[in-house]
Amino acid sequence: MSQTDPIDATDEMNRTAEQTISTTDGETAEETRSEWVDYDTGGETKLAIKNLDVYYGDDHALKDVSMDIPEQSVTALIGPSGCGKSTFLRCLNRMNDRIRSASINGTVELDSEDIYQDGIDLVELRKRVGMVFQSPNPFPKSIRANVSYGPRKHGDIETGLLARLTGRADPESEEELVKRSLERAALWEEVSDRLEDNALGLSGGQQQRLCIARCLAVDPEIILMDEPASALDPIATSKIEDLIEDLAQDYTVVVVTHSMQQAARVSDQTAVFLTGGELVEYDNTEKIFEDPESQRVEDYISGKFG
Amino acid sequence: MAREDYRESLTELRDGVESMAKTVLTQLRRALTSLEDGDEMVAHEVIDTDGAVNERYLDLEGDCIQLLALQQPVASDLRFVAASFKILTDLERIGDLATNLARYALADASGAFSKIDIHRIGDEVHNQVQAAIDAYVADDTDACRTINTRDDEIDALCQRASEAVVRELIAREASAWGVEQLLDDVSRVLLTIRDLERIGDHAVNIAARTHYMVENDPELIY
Repeated sequence: MSQTDPIDATDEMNRTAEQTISTTDGETAEETRSEWVDYDTGGETKLAIKNLDVYYGDDHALKDVSMDIPEQSVTALIGPSGCGKSTFLRCLNRMNDRIRSASINGTVELDSEDIYQDGIDLVELRKRVGMVFQSPNPFPKSIRANVSYGPRKHGDIETGLLARLTGRADPESEEELVKRSLERAALWEEVSDRLEDNALGLSGGQQQRLCIARCLAVDPEIILMDEPASALDPIATSKIEDLIEDLAQDYTVVVVTHSMQQAARVSDQTAVFLTGGELVEYDNTEKIFEDPESQRVEDYISGKFG
Repeated sequence: MAREDYRESLTELRDGVESMAKTVLTQLRRALTSLEDGDEMVAHEVIDTDGAVNERYLDLEGDCIQLLALQQPVASDLRFVAASFKILTDLERIGDLATNLARYALADASGAFSKIDIHRIGDEVHNQVQAAIDAYVADDTDACRTINTRDDEIDALCQRASEAVVRELIAREASAWGVEQLLDDVSRVLLTIRDLERIGDHAVNIAARTHYMVENDPELIY
């Protein structure tokens, strides 16, 4: 990707923070590769991650991670700061490509196709694998323009240049798509009479749901969420959590969260990463929170360290 | 270790359950003594102490609710709080049943049905409750299984005792006793046997919840 990408600077800062934390790792690792990660989800695998290693320079940020993420369900990734869970999430739509020093080994298969193979169309990939970030980041445009931005870019609505060029047979009208996306993100009723208002005038919780609507507008298959409710109050958080569960009926949702209660509330399966970039245990959420196999996982979720 | 206040609260809960169990065991021992000796003063003390046992129960139950609400325990901590919550109810019920026994002792001045070995059954169930609470404190699942098995023997003892009451009733000369007095004595001795058997069941419940708490295995619960 671009060497002059402005977001590189932020990523550099994040990386430094992760490095600092990971070097404070004082635990006595009982094993380097956990035996409690071969969880058979029972569902149809949407994403199959195999032996994924990520290095930021010399820092081994993610160590030999393998897991299957089933479709139409919520998978939570939890773990202390610097454990590699956000790095892992960003590997699932190749956002780490934007970090110059990052090197990635292993495979990530989306519907059995490796997204790291040569010739993959990154724009198409990120359309299929959408992302919602920790802080709501709507464009400083109208609510309508925020939602229609992606489809216009991708040529999915009739006003788009690409739609005309590619001659899509049945392009959806902008009006329908904006309404459908906002409804799906549980925001329509709150904003339907002010679609032309600037999105930055919405509350934080509304902005985050708008970002989810924006993500849904390009019709993704997978939605990655990086601490989507950590900047929101409890009521806005509840709405996002309800929405996550609802979205999982149609989409594959992968959510990074610092709130263990949130992971317990919304997810079907939970992956626990511990300091050092290691996936220690992956199982159905009930099992993780009632009777985890790994003592280190038990200690982490009980707050005995971390 | 992080969350020190939380860890301390968990320890306090375990100590609280153990100390309530001690009180309940003392209540049971004294109720059994009053049955054996007919000591009315001891029986009255047992009855009078039940209010304090109930208060202790409510306090500890409140501690469990507070832990759940404020600390959101998970994994083994969650199983510990959930098991303790249930075990407290069993202890409170044993306290009530000990009070029943003390009331029977007060009423039973006649010494009827002296051949029924109530005291042996009483000692057995007391031992069961003691063993169950020891298992809880020590996370001892082997002891839980033993307690579960031992309960069948206690049930059999109770069954034999009840049958002995009936046999003695048949053999007794009806004219020697007023019918009303006789019915009172029969019902009291049968209730005594039934309450002791129930205390044994509560001991099994404590063992079953302890087994779940340690192993995440509800096998012994039913």
